[in-house]
Amino acid sequence: MQPVIQEGVKRGFRIIPIVEKEVKQLIRDPKTVLMVLAMPVLITIMFGYGYGGKEVGQFPITVVNLDHGEGSYKFIDDLKNSRMFKIEAIYNTRGEGFASVYRGEVYSSVVIPPTFTEDLMMGRVTRIEVIYDASNPQMAKIIMQAVGVVTQLYQEWAAERFGTFAIKPVFYTVYGPSVSKVENFMPGVMAMILQMVPTSLISVSVCRERERGTFEQFIMTPITVFDVIMGKLVAYFGATISDAALTLVTAMLLFDVRLRGSFFDMVVVSTVFLLTSLSMGLFISVFSKNQLQAYQASIFSFILATLFSGFLYPVDVLSPFAQTVAGLIPMYYFIEAFRAVSLKGWTLDMVTYELAVMMLFTVAFLAMAMKFLKLEVG
Amino acid sequence: MLAIETVELTKAFGDFVAVNGINLKVKAGENFGLLGPNGAGKTTTIRMIAGLIKPSRGSVRVFGIDVTRERREALKLIGYMPQKFSLYEDLTVEENVILYARLFGLSRAEAKERARELLKRFLLWEFRNRLAGKLSGGMKQRLALSVSLVHDPRLLMLDEPTAGVDPPLRRKFWEFFRELNKEGKTILITTHYMDEAENCNRLALMSRGRIIAEGTPREIKRRAIGGDLVEIIAEGHVRLRAEWVKSVEKRDGRFLALVDDAAVRIPQIIRELEGQGVKVISVAPMFVSLEEAFIRFLGD
Repeated sequence: MQPVIQEGVKRGFRIIPIVEKEVKQLIRDPKTVLMVLAMPVLITIMFGYGYGGKEVGQFPITVVNLDHGEGSYKFIDDLKNSRMFKIEAIYNTRGEGFASVYRGEVYSSVVIPPTFTEDLMMGRVTRIEVIYDASNPQMAKIIMQAVGVVTQLYQEWAAERFGTFAIKPVFYTVYGPSVSKVENFMPGVMAMILQMVPTSLISVSVCRERERGTFEQFIMTPITVFDVIMGKLVAYFGATISDAALTLVTAMLLFDVRLRGSFFDMVVVSTVFLLTSLSMGLFISVFSKNQLQAYQASIFSFILATLFSGFLYPVDVLSPFAQTVAGLIPMYYFIEAFRAVSLKGWTLDMVTYELAVMMLFTVAFLAMAMKFLKLEVG
Repeated sequence: MLAIETVELTKAFGDFVAVNGINLKVKAGENFGLLGPNGAGKTTTIRMIAGLIKPSRGSVRVFGIDVTRERREALKLIGYMPQKFSLYEDLTVEENVILYARLFGLSRAEAKERARELLKRFLLWEFRNRLAGKLSGGMKQRLALSVSLVHDPRLLMLDEPTAGVDPPLRRKFWEFFRELNKEGKTILITTHYMDEAENCNRLALMSRGRIIAEGTPREIKRRAIGGDLVEIIAEGHVRLRAEWVKSVEKRDGRFLALVDDAAVRIPQIIRELEGQGVKVISVAPMFVSLEEAFIRFLGD
C-alpha cells in the first residue's frame, strides 16, 4: 500500500511524464493537429501559386527592341519559344529595360540594338545586350547560359538565311533587389511557418493551465521551473519539427523548388530556429495573463519579425534604425542563414555566426522564462 | 506534533486584506474544519498552507517544515484537492492518476499499480479509460481525491470538497474522509455546509479574514450562546433563580433556559421546579446547530 517516494529523484524522470502529458494533450486537440499539419502545406501552396507556382522553370525578363526589323522579331519569338523565358514587356528604350531590372521586376532585360537586322543582312558582326541582376548570381548565371543557347540556335537559322556572320552576347550588370520567385521566397516561407505556428502554439501552454486551473494541481507536485519549461519545450519541439519537414517537402514536390544546399544543413538551420521560436513562445506564455493575451503577443512578435527580418524587404536597403531593429530579431538570422544554405549552397560552417546568435536568443528566452515563471497561483 | 502551525498568517491583495493574522494550530491526526461564508478567506488560507500563494506576512509550518522556504519538501507531505476541478480534462481518469504519481517520483510500473489501488478504492476503476472531462461532478471529485492521495501524504487538505455534490454522495464522501482520518491522515477541510462541520474534531470559524472562534463543535456552540440551552416543558410558570441560570424565556409554550452546563444542571432544574410545585413534563438539552452558533458569532 505504501508507495515508495524516492528521495532526490533525478530531474529527467519528471520531465518524461510532463513531455508525455503535453504530447497527449497536443494530439488530442483537433484544432492543434490541423494547425500543425495543415498550416505549413497551405502556406507553401499559397506562396507557390502566388509567387511563381508551376512556372518556376521560366525566368521573367523584358526585351528592349531598338531594331524593329525582321531579325529582331524572329529573335523575340525564339526567346518565347525556348520556354525558358517569360517576356513581361517589350520596351522601345534602353532606359525602360534597365529600370525593370533595377526595380527587381525581372531578372534580366535583353536589348536588341538598332542595327541588328541590318547587320545580319550585311553579314556583319552584331551583338545582343543582356542586362542582368547581379545581386542574384545564381540566377544571372542561368540566364546568361539560356540567352547563349537561344542566340546559338538563332545563329544557325540566320546563317542559313543571310550567310555567315556572328552574334556576340554582351552582358551588363545591375544590382537590383531579389526577384520574386518561389525559390527566393522559400527562406521567408520557412521563417513564417517556423515562427508563427510554434510560437503561437506554445505561447498559450502555460497560461492555458493557469486559465483552466490545472496549474493549481500541477504545481502541488515537487516539480521545478526547469521541469515545466523543458518538458513543454521538448514536447512542442517534437510536435512542430514536422512543420519544417512538411514545408520543405511540399515546396520541393509541388513547385519543383530546387534548393541547392544539403537537406541535412537546411534541417539543422531550421531546427535551431524552431527552438528559438518555441523559447520565445514560452517566454510570452510566462508573461501573459491569459490565452488571448498570449496570442496577441505572438502575432505582434510575428508582425515585427516580418517587417524587420528581410522577409519583405532586404534588410540592406532599410534605414540604419531598421537595421538595428533587425539585429534584435531572431528571424533575421534565420533568413540570412537559410538563404545562404538553401540558395547559395553554403555549408553550415559558413553560417556559424547566425546559428550562434539564434542559440543565444534561445538560451536568453529560456532563462527569462524560468526566472519569471512562478509556481504559484492567483 | 503539530501538522499545521501558522503564525500571524496574512495575505493582502492590494488594499484588500483577504487573510488577517491567522494563528492556526492543527494537531497531527485531527479532522479539522475551517468554516465560514464565501469570501471569508478560507481558500486563501488553505492555498498559503499549500504554498500556492506567498503570505504577505507570517509563516506556515507543516510537520515542522517551513512551507515558504522548503516548499518541495513540504509538498511530499501534503495532499491537496482544490475547490475547482483542476485535472486534465483531455487525459483519461487513469492517465491523470499515473501522471501525478510519476510527478511524485514513482516509476511507471509503481504509478500504474498505485492508480489501480486508488481508482478501485474510490469506485472509479470501471471508468479508468474515460476522459476526465466527460465525468460527472461526483466522479470528478472522486478523481481529484484519488490524485491528492497518490503520494500517500500525511496531511490532506480539501477545499470545499462537497460543494455542488448531491446529499447522498456528500455522506459517502464524509465516510471516505473519516476512513482516511482513521488511517492516520490529518485532514483540513473547508466547507460552508454547517451540518457537515459537525463531523470534525475541531473547527475554526472564519469571517472577513479572521478566525472568530475555535474549538470542538460543542465548545463553539456553548461559546456562541453563552452556555447550554435546556428545553423545559412544564405546566405552570417556570421561574429559576440561581447564579448558573443566565436567562429563561418562554417560546411556543415551552421554556428555554440558558445554563452553564446542561449535563450538571438538568437534575438540579427538575429538583428546583418540583420543589416549587410545578408539574414537569420534560427537561432536555436542546440541540443547537452550528449554523445558529455561527450566526450568533457574526451578529456580535
